[in-house]
Amino acid sequence: STHLEPSYKVSNPSAEEARLLWSHYDIQTRDLSFAFTEQLRLILAPTLATKMRGDFRTGKRLNIKRIIPYIASQYKRDKIWMRRSIPSKRNYQIMLAVDDSKSMGESGSGQLALETLTLVSKSLSMLEVGEICVVGFGNDFHVAHDFGKPFSSEAGVQIFQHFSFQQTKTNVRKLIAESILLFHEARRRTFNAGIDLWQLELIISDGICEDRETIRRLVRQAQEERIMIVFVIVDALVKGESILDMREAVYGPDAIGEIGLKMKRYLDEFPFPYYLVVGNVRELPGVLAQALRQWFTEVVDSG
Amino acid sequence: MAESQIRIQLSTRYPDISLRENPGPIVVNTSLRRYALSTLVNTLLESEKPVPFEFLINGTFLRTSLDEYLTANGISSETTLAVEYVRAIIPPLYLASF
Ligand SMILES: [Mg+2]
Repeated sequence: STHLEPSYKVSNPSAEEARLLWSHYDIQTRDLSFAFTEQLRLILAPTLATKMRGDFRTGKRLNIKRIIPYIASQYKRDKIWMRRSIPSKRNYQIMLAVDDSKSMGESGSGQLALETLTLVSKSLSMLEVGEICVVGFGNDFHVAHDFGKPFSSEAGVQIFQHFSFQQTKTNVRKLIAESILLFHEARRRTFNAGIDLWQLELIISDGICEDRETIRRLVRQAQEERIMIVFVIVDALVKGESILDMREAVYGPDAIGEIGLKMKRYLDEFPFPYYLVVGNVRELPGVLAQALRQWFTEVVDSG
Repeated sequence: MAESQIRIQLSTRYPDISLRENPGPIVVNTSLRRYALSTLVNTLLESEKPVPFEFLINGTFLRTSLDEYLTANGISSETTLAVEYVRAIIPPLYLASF
């Protein structure tokens, strides 16, 4: 069904239009972005609590696990001490993935997505903790701003030229698969033994996606590679049309194997474990900061 | 091939078969045809005895799957599809045939 509509690029904003849009959202999110930057600084800063670790000949505390081997080795294996370690410098690679599909434009979520993109990209760049990348997805996947490129207002204007919310499919499966490859590439390029590199992807979308089984599998794969994916559902909250109320009609076998129809809440089958729903850009800093704090703790604990 | 879905907004112009509350957009597989959609409306109506329905999209009766309809009419699944339902007129020939 590629013949249906002309290429989405036809209606992409011109440089002038993109400049106007960017400055509009820039001004609109200015006060919010300062507050958000401070919240993020607290969350993304390396943990200050130092840990005792290592096997040394001298140190502050005995490593109990080393005592028996020490005696058994006739006091030869004498690296039985631990020292206080310096927290490693933590660096981030953060990808913002913006849904460029038509459903975004039709529901009014497109505007909220651009506000969110402006707010988050400005706040992250003010933090100076790492690299930012912006990608768009719909039928295809495209990089609007690559890792390693400095972020500025001018970059913001260029990014905006990539979005028109006219793409006729929402291929989230492709997004995740391509993101993983991009993260691999970025990690390889910046490999540095002294640095603890964290990779985070924020997806900004209305949340309507197909092929959820495959997506679920890819999200697990990303998780195993320590790429954290957070799905921000921008929900225009038109009365009765919020994704929170949306239902899905599912045909399938019931308990006794008879094919029947079931009505389910659409979000019950949502394939991303970490997601949040935002109806207004003003809610975003608070909600996202709180969620990130909780999820980062989970990741640190499990790692 | 992966599941493909679309949001539909159901409505009717007949008060006796209209839904008490606007169900809002409902996500369905595009493989659905008239019969499955009819079951859906009956489920929403909580009908004791299912009534067969016919479906109109942009003024024409749905005679294929939604997917085939979308392709034939150049409609992207990114849109919420307005679907109108009416009571099906059962052809008398069919009734008389048994
Ligand atoms: Mg979409």
